[in-house]
Amino acid sequence: MKAAPFAYVRPGSVADVVGELAHDDAKVIAGGQSLVPVLAMRLGRPGLLVDINSVSELDRLSREGDSLRVGATVRQRRLQDDALSAAVPLVRLALPWVGHREIRSRGTVCGSIAHADPSAELPAVACCLEATMVLASTRGTREVPAVDFFTGALSTAVEPDELLAQVVLPVAKPGEGFGFGEFARRHGDFALAGVAVRVRTHGASPEARLTCFGVSDVPVPADVSALLRAALDATGPSPSRAALVCALAEDAGDVARDLVDTGGDSHASPAYRRRLISGLVAREVASAYLKATRSELERDKP
Amino acid sequence: MNLPETRARTEADQTVAVTMTVNGSEVAMSLPARVTLSDALRDHLGLTGTHVGCEHGICGMCTVLVDGDAARACLLFAVQLDGAEITTVEGLGRQDDLHPLQEAFGKHHGLQCGFCTPGFLMSSYDLLTHEPEVRREDLPAELSGVLCRCTGYRNIIDAVDEVAEAHRDGLPGPGNCGKHALVGRTPAGVSGSGAAAEVAADEAASGHPDEITLPSGEPTIGIEVTSQLSSSPEQVARVFRDVRLLARCLPGAELTEELGDDWYAGRARIALGPVRLSFHGLAQVLEQSDERIRMNAQGKDTGGGGAQARIEMVAAAREDGGTSLQADADVFLTGRIAGFGRSLAGDVSRRMFEDFARAVDRAAAGEEPDASARPPGALSLLWSTLADRTRQRVRRVREARRGRRPRGRHGA
Repeated sequence: MKAAPFAYVRPGSVADVVGELAHDDAKVIAGGQSLVPVLAMRLGRPGLLVDINSVSELDRLSREGDSLRVGATVRQRRLQDDALSAAVPLVRLALPWVGHREIRSRGTVCGSIAHADPSAELPAVACCLEATMVLASTRGTREVPAVDFFTGALSTAVEPDELLAQVVLPVAKPGEGFGFGEFARRHGDFALAGVAVRVRTHGASPEARLTCFGVSDVPVPADVSALLRAALDATGPSPSRAALVCALAEDAGDVARDLVDTGGDSHASPAYRRRLISGLVAREVASAYLKATRSELERDKP
Repeated sequence: MNLPETRARTEADQTVAVTMTVNGSEVAMSLPARVTLSDALRDHLGLTGTHVGCEHGICGMCTVLVDGDAARACLLFAVQLDGAEITTVEGLGRQDDLHPLQEAFGKHHGLQCGFCTPGFLMSSYDLLTHEPEVRREDLPAELSGVLCRCTGYRNIIDAVDEVAEAHRDGLPGPGNCGKHALVGRTPAGVSGSGAAAEVAADEAASGHPDEITLPSGEPTIGIEVTSQLSSSPEQVARVFRDVRLLARCLPGAELTEELGDDWYAGRARIALGPVRLSFHGLAQVLEQSDERIRMNAQGKDTGGGGAQARIEMVAAAREDGGTSLQADADVFLTGRIAGFGRSLAGDVSRRMFEDFARAVDRAAAGEEPDASARPPGALSLLWSTLADRTRQRVRRVREARRGRRPRGRHGA
């Protein structure tokens, strides 16, 4: 379990980083919490690692208008603990599920998104929130919406010579509520199935958007406003949590059937994952709606 | 946290310079970029308390603190940690002054084989430092970053919960961080403490460094032995004045080179049962008179341990015409030899000083010291150490002062 030899460079600016990435066979390393296991198992043997930890402009976490901008070297734990992330409740719900505290100490938000593991939490959060990815290269910068960013397992829109310099997370608006849940064999393991939910109640009728993960090779977004409205028709606009979960569960199985397209593995069959998603959708859409309507009385617990 | 300094491109077959603080000691290393922090700690700094399990970030055995936060040392390349502050389990507590977490793990039998213990200690230290209000029911999830295959976690939870309850207002910090000599196990010796690296450079230039820098803080062993010699003070003075003769009195030691300016190079072999240590090192005589000799010494065990010592010996006349020889030494051990029980290492060292005193007595009387001919006998030394311990238990009742024997067995 030792990485193969590689050349190493630690530039001090984004311009220098993308200059290095223009070389063949270069790979960015920030926290390394996804990359180092890949190197240790020699699943990957890049010729050059470009360490971006000396670039101060990538170490920024800032609120700009309705966005929270998370630089490429911002650790997951820093985002979790920083007061700024209170404006993005979904990311706060999701981060405790990312690996373990020891992983989040070093692992970066952008790194997890760029690695694009199909079972990872943060790509699903980015999709659910309709975040924007900022990519830098010697050709300049470009922005890619999260829904177009994930192209397959461990594959993204990032070109080999590009750096995911920043992820732009929209801050929560009044009337929005969020839910997040996952099932894993042990806490901190990759999720067998998980769901991130955003509900909006500001308009005439509530909207619900979710993103499933662990059930396909990419995060799977879906609009489930119809599911929520049908459930609310059955329960009335101020249901109890239990009543709403039950009402949502009526049709959550149909949603799950459409969303789960994994072939399954030794840990969980597709059928089992559909059941997990069905339960998670009912529970977390209810939770998000109740938070959005501020009628949440029960203790919020992931 | 300060950002690491930039580094120009280093090719795959070259090494990268990195400076970090480990348990309070600044260390400078030059490593291939692919060396993980766990390997650097273990192989290059001799800190084998950090265990290595899966080496791909699953098991948590290698958990250390990086700038105060727990992280997996196998998932970090050491060269990335330029300027970082690392705390390992060695920095958490001392054998005679354990950290409350270590005490609690012992009390609750929170370990069986001990392999996961460093990981659990560092992970729970991080948890209780950052979340002192953590509830017992959350401990299983909060500690899920480390795996244990022996005790089934229940006792570990008990131990951490007890410490959490006792320290809601703040967990005591690591109790063993200070300047230590860190010596690696890698024969190539590309590493060492900042001081040691400088020493190596100096040695290459002039044969010896300007001075031997001893670590601050508590020595691993403090030795205080008084032996009664039958030789007269004048006879002992003759030995004190002759460093070559003196060296031959030290069991297993051999003076290999006189470097001038009161500097000497030598080697020492010690055999204890299956344990074989072979030290190469330097000594600087700081004071040398008829009745007093004072020196600093440092040595590196070929197997990956290090020792530094401050030694003072004083000879005093006795009423019966003999000489009382008092030896005081502060010994700092690192690497695998530091893994010996502190008391066993102390006992062995005291025994060596007693043998030394006997040899000085013989040399003073004009006989061949007979100590350098062979390393201290494996069995005899260990036996006498163990036998001594049994006797000491009886004697300790009467002897109030630790480390001071009423009278050397080989005295007059």
